[in-house]
Amino acid sequence: MKIPYSWLKEFVDVEATPEELAERLTFSGVEVEGIHRLGDGLGDLIVGEIVRFEKHPAADRLRLCTVHDGRGELQVVCGASNFEVGDKAAFAPVGATLPGGMAITKRKVRGIESHGMLCAEDELGLSEGHGGILLVEREVPAGQSLATALGLPEVVFELEITWNRPDCLSVIGMAREVAALYGKSLRLPDVAYAEDSRAAADLAKVRIDDAARCPRYTGRVLSGLAVGPSPGWMQHRLKFCGVRPISNIVDVTNYVMLECGQPLHAFDLTRVAGAQIHIRCAQAGEKLKTLDGVERALAPDMLVIADAQEPLAVAGIMGGGGSEISESTREVLLESASFDAPGTRRTSVALGLASESSHRFERGVDPELADWASRRAAALLLQTAGGAAAGGVIDVYPGRAELRRITCRFARVQALLGVAIAADAICNIFAGLELIVESRTDAACVVRIPSFRRDLEIEADLIEEVARMHGLDRVPEATPHATLIQNVDDARTWAVMQLRERLTGLGLREILNYSFMSERHVNQLGGEDAARRLVIPNPVSIDHAVMRPALLPQMLLTLGHNMSRQVANADFFEIGRIFWRDEAGQACEAERLSLGLMGRVGQGALDGRRSVSPAEMFLSLKGLLTALCRAQSDAGLRMAPATHASMEPGWCVGLWLGDVALGTAGLLRRGLREEWRIAEPVGVAELHVQPLLAAPRRRSFAPLATYPSITHDVAMIVAEDVQHENILAVIRKAGPTELTDVRLFDIFRGVAVGVGRKSMAYSLVYQSGARTLTDAEANTFDVGIRQALRQELQAEIREG
Amino acid sequence: MAEIFWMNLAEIDALTAEGVAGAQQAATVDAVEAVRIQYLGRKGLLPQIMKGLKDFAPAERGAAGRSANAFKDSITAAIEARLLALRGAAGAVAGPAFDYTLPGSWRGLGSLHPVSLVITDAVRIFSRMGFAVAEGPDIENAYNNFEALNTPAHHPSLAETDTFWLGKGELLRTQTSPVQIRVMQSHPPPVRIITPGRCYRRDTTDATHSASFHQIEGLYVDRQVSLADLKGTLAAFMRAMMGPDVGVRFRPHFFPFTEPSVECDFSCHVCGGKGCRVCKQSGWIEIAGAGMVDPRVFGKVGYDAEAWTGFAFGMGVERIAMIKYGIPDIRMLYENDARFLAQFG
Repeated sequence: MKIPYSWLKEFVDVEATPEELAERLTFSGVEVEGIHRLGDGLGDLIVGEIVRFEKHPAADRLRLCTVHDGRGELQVVCGASNFEVGDKAAFAPVGATLPGGMAITKRKVRGIESHGMLCAEDELGLSEGHGGILLVEREVPAGQSLATALGLPEVVFELEITWNRPDCLSVIGMAREVAALYGKSLRLPDVAYAEDSRAAADLAKVRIDDAARCPRYTGRVLSGLAVGPSPGWMQHRLKFCGVRPISNIVDVTNYVMLECGQPLHAFDLTRVAGAQIHIRCAQAGEKLKTLDGVERALAPDMLVIADAQEPLAVAGIMGGGGSEISESTREVLLESASFDAPGTRRTSVALGLASESSHRFERGVDPELADWASRRAAALLLQTAGGAAAGGVIDVYPGRAELRRITCRFARVQALLGVAIAADAICNIFAGLELIVESRTDAACVVRIPSFRRDLEIEADLIEEVARMHGLDRVPEATPHATLIQNVDDARTWAVMQLRERLTGLGLREILNYSFMSERHVNQLGGEDAARRLVIPNPVSIDHAVMRPALLPQMLLTLGHNMSRQVANADFFEIGRIFWRDEAGQACEAERLSLGLMGRVGQGALDGRRSVSPAEMFLSLKGLLTALCRAQSDAGLRMAPATHASMEPGWCVGLWLGDVALGTAGLLRRGLREEWRIAEPVGVAELHVQPLLAAPRRRSFAPLATYPSITHDVAMIVAEDVQHENILAVIRKAGPTELTDVRLFDIFRGVAVGVGRKSMAYSLVYQSGARTLTDAEANTFDVGIRQALRQELQAEIREG
Repeated sequence: MAEIFWMNLAEIDALTAEGVAGAQQAATVDAVEAVRIQYLGRKGLLPQIMKGLKDFAPAERGAAGRSANAFKDSITAAIEARLLALRGAAGAVAGPAFDYTLPGSWRGLGSLHPVSLVITDAVRIFSRMGFAVAEGPDIENAYNNFEALNTPAHHPSLAETDTFWLGKGELLRTQTSPVQIRVMQSHPPPVRIITPGRCYRRDTTDATHSASFHQIEGLYVDRQVSLADLKGTLAAFMRAMMGPDVGVRFRPHFFPFTEPSVECDFSCHVCGGKGCRVCKQSGWIEIAGAGMVDPRVFGKVGYDAEAWTGFAFGMGVERIAMIKYGIPDIRMLYENDARFLAQFG
């Protein structure tokens, strides 16, 4: 909201510099977002009359003007064409300096001397506008100071008014705050005016259907008005506040709204059928063409101002074209009414229509203000448009509310704020804000809340008033006395934080994706059941229309995105929530971990350039998963062949921790990665997070071996379909208790081994906890193991 | 083998100098060993000197002992120094030097996402102050997200333009405050929690807005918790998060769920409060909203607002990350470019 300083000063005596005032306001709850100084440096400029003009003989786009500066006629070259003979314009005579520092000299423009310059708004530092020269009213005499003609200089504050303070959405409301801050009193304008012998109540009727939607409606009748432009001072102020001047009648209603916060509307009374105002809900099928020229279909929940036949206005939001003030308007019904905040808000949202009026009503306008604002507007109308006012007012007020009383305990102020403030100081703060201290004891006071402060409902609200007027900077920074509190268990959060750290320790970078994604990508990459998708009914864009049903699709997109930016080596993880609807349609969410490995495997720097085989990538992923699960859980990691829409057949495994399903891992399906021009195998996995946290490792001591171990090797040739796990199982079963470790150290295929066969070599580690083993004993162990391998796997043991 | 037939102090000191010189001039490790045997060996000079000490006059005996010690220490040091020099020299001449500048064979560590870094830092800082972490679902109901937080039914944030409604009264939470409600509903006071988590608002994405973002909120309810405690707690957090020298200031504001309500600024960490591009010349950066819990919120969760008071605060994680690390555009946080992420490893 914008407020000119000069307007504020009409109601409160304040001498502070704009910066000082802005600081006080910001630290008492109304943030000043900007201070605009309009018209600084215009001292040299005057108003010039354009007496006549002709085309510049040497340039089609230029005009050769004769300007009267109040003393004589001057020849001026001008590039603009937005003026007529007789117009008054901003004129910088020779010797003047513009706000930007440009000095005006006598100079030749395309061969013709120009004695000064006609100026546009941007050249004067008034706005960014350069749509021609700045014109002022023709009534202004030539030679007058331009600043005076424009109501300048002026300082305009730009304020952020919080939702709870609709009373501050006006100059007077802000003046009340300023008066309280500086210990001054508020000075309101005189609203008395002369009435004629007619009674307003005889000239129009008002009926309200629903007091909750319209607590009060006042109408005044003014006749014999002459519609024309409003006075310059009024137009200047409207413009400073960002409101476009229209005509004296409309401008007065806007001016009074900006001044006191009460929206008003003037109906052409001759166009109100039956001279009857009926505040009712719209009927099905009713339409109204609002002042912005749009025909709007009204719904039955919308409150309208109707005459005997049809809606004239959407209550509190915008009037209709039918009863609009026109040049022929002579008789006006001046509406000053109250409409409820929730209803106004609903209607405004439903129609997609907002106005200065709805902005105020949807936050709350004090019904007590209606009559004062109506008087103020009537007085200004008579002053600016002539005519006469009918006697009295039509005032239908079914929703009058009791004034609230709140008790404020002085001890509670200190308890809540943590600073001692004297009872006298507290009561003075209330009085300064026009909150009436009705009674007072040593311990508390009872405060009557004026109608314009509907936001004050409970004691804490009053304490906030004390805090902001006393000053938050005077509240100390204390160290809480900090009871030991152990009722909230956050072990899981810390466990997930540790999981993250472990994943980075394994060399992965954490990524973060949005919770929503496009339906197209879910279809392409997700392959989940479409009926279970959690679709957002009101998405911001189609790229964010579905809550992600899995993390893998975004992981693939992330890998592809990096590849497209020439990042070919990347190892990523994401921990995040996925979403779906269960069979009952209930929205569900769960935490998942996704992994994506692209490019280089191995530790060495030289590994970066060699190509990676599918087996290498798969084993790299498996090694990572094994290390992770070993750190996270006592339950062993198991794998079994599986399928997944995004993974390459034959290169995909299901994962279990003990008996609990952990997820799926494998190589990205070839077609998918080729779509992103990823040439080499990509390892991916999507895991549930909960099983990784469910069985944390129990750490306990076991005695360390004190006797030396013996390591023997066994190499064998087996058929290709014999798996490592089969061999391990046979060795372990056949081995003695002294067999403490079995390690694969070589795989070999070749002519010497034979087609369809492979050579596998293992180290067998024997160790006893009770004594030193002999080589002879180890040899005996070997014999049993070799025997079992031959029998159960048809292995051909390679000797030596 | 040298022998001492007749010993005085000058003789010991002369032998010391001789032994040190012998060690220093030895050309090989074997030659050094010969020196050691001659001077310090079991049949060398040292045992003879020690044996001869008793022959000194009592008045000279102390000085003689010191000279004997100096003999042993100096020659030992000279031998060690010479051996070190000889062995080092032997390595240097063994062959061409290994190129230790080759890249090391270890893949680097990964990195946490900047959003995780900020949340982790915040959790650690607040946990030092006794705050436990509470989490809640992204999908909330309207009661927990709005009504229990004293947000009027016609508040603009309820409108379709600001909230992702999923139907059936469900929505994507617009703040992590509903976690505060859940905790207060399930735990009697006192409570002291922070609630990091993801939130959603129907903002059009630009350099500073994202429809999905993270918040950290805090809540402390106890006997005699005051606004002064809130100031102290947030100021301590800001100093721990942004640097020990940052100043913190509070401005009155409005939130439906706190009364009084404040906004918290910290002095710009880039310019120290003098005014720069980062703080838009103001010297201050807005960072958090906060206040004393509105008694009506306590009423909704069944807390006795007379017996208990509390403060709550909330701040945007992405915003803190952008300020702290100088990230110019919030969208970069969700592009997951490895080169970007590597900067935070």
